[in-house]
Amino acid sequence: MKNHWLRLGIPLTLLAVTLLFAGCARDTASVAQQEQASSAQTEKQAAAVYTGSIVGKSNKAQTVSIEVGKGADAQTYMLKFDDDTTGIEHAEPGEAAIINWEQRGEDKFAVDIKPKLATLPEGVTEIDVDELYQLIENDTPMVLADARPESRYNQAHLPGAVNLPVPLLTEKKEAVLPKDKDTLLIFYCGGFT
Amino acid sequence: MTGANAGLAKKLGYTNVRGFLGGEPAWVKAGHPVYASYDYVEKGNIVLIDLRPGGETVEGRIPRSIPLTIDELERRINDIPRNAPVVLYGDDQDDVMYAFDELRWQGYKNVSLVRGNYEGWVAAGKPIVTGPVFSTEIKWVRKLGKGEVSVEEFRKATLGQLPDTFVIDARTDEEIAQLGIFKNTVNIPLDEIPKRMDEIPKDKRIFIHCSTGARADLAYRELVKNGYDVKFLLLDISDPECDCPIIRP
Repeated sequence: MKNHWLRLGIPLTLLAVTLLFAGCARDTASVAQQEQASSAQTEKQAAAVYTGSIVGKSNKAQTVSIEVGKGADAQTYMLKFDDDTTGIEHAEPGEAAIINWEQRGEDKFAVDIKPKLATLPEGVTEIDVDELYQLIENDTPMVLADARPESRYNQAHLPGAVNLPVPLLTEKKEAVLPKDKDTLLIFYCGGFT
Repeated sequence: MTGANAGLAKKLGYTNVRGFLGGEPAWVKAGHPVYASYDYVEKGNIVLIDLRPGGETVEGRIPRSIPLTIDELERRINDIPRNAPVVLYGDDQDDVMYAFDELRWQGYKNVSLVRGNYEGWVAAGKPIVTGPVFSTEIKWVRKLGKGEVSVEEFRKATLGQLPDTFVIDARTDEEIAQLGIFKNTVNIPLDEIPKRMDEIPKDKRIFIHCSTGARADLAYRELVKNGYDVKFLLLDISDPECDCPIIRP
């Protein structure tokens, strides 16, 4: 166990440095324009569904808040819940959720809360924490890329990870990725988004 | 974001693309270490702890670090604010991982390590300081987040010194009946705020509090949405730091 983090840090770091010098980690602009558009659409199509990120939940006030949309257009909605609300355990701050609700008098009431599961594009396979740990442990040649904004990456990132926020990759494309297109690329971010 | 990036890479012709959907939270939950970038170690608002057991700190240490051995760390754990981001380094990865696990177990949510420990820092050509350590006092102060009011300013409002400010207590009627209410404060429970908006003056600045800040944060967003100039108090009001005058039941 001892020192293996140190060991694996070196080859990955070299790779990271090469990539970073190509211009990573400068752009800290906020992300996910597409998500914003799709959330806004969901809003229009079905007014009784909110899809977004849970802001908070108060059991004392039996209230849950959800942020729909991103950036300047984000809207936070407050809904009541009660013992009949299903899936209240999915209302965890920071988690992506889908809330079905109805108007009862002056209050919006959450009827059902579901986690919003992220899907990967076609041809991209999922990797779980144990397999990723093994790959890192075995010094597997790869690029591990953190898609979160620079400030979050700076605080805490996975061993050997480079920072590739979505706007940066969108702009720089191949310049911030390895030359060999068969290199294993693993992307992660702050959870199911 | 994982999906967006993976999709981009796929479009650019990369053949071996995978997504770790659990992300950083799942990694940390599984007990694995995370690392702070060197820039953040140098400039971030953190508590930086040097875990090396000997007198090495005199010969060189990372600027702003506080030397604490594992034993001292365990003894002084309550000196470190629970909400402070803590960054650890040492010369023995087992020690560092032990301290990392201990802090996480004690409820510290933001704990990270320095890549390569002290040796790695020096090898990267990063600055060090030398000489005796005169104080191991931990002086971390949280920076106010968006929409937060400072305790000092909030206290002034409850003392009636800010006539242009309207203070809302978002707790339930039961909590107030049991614990009392601050002076110069109006009680509107969080869930009643949307329908009692007409009781909240538009021409005043609004401060809002609850028992710990969680409900106040939600109420803050609701009021911002409705065009109010509002700030919320993020503090456990039973904390002696609050020290605001209370009307007891």
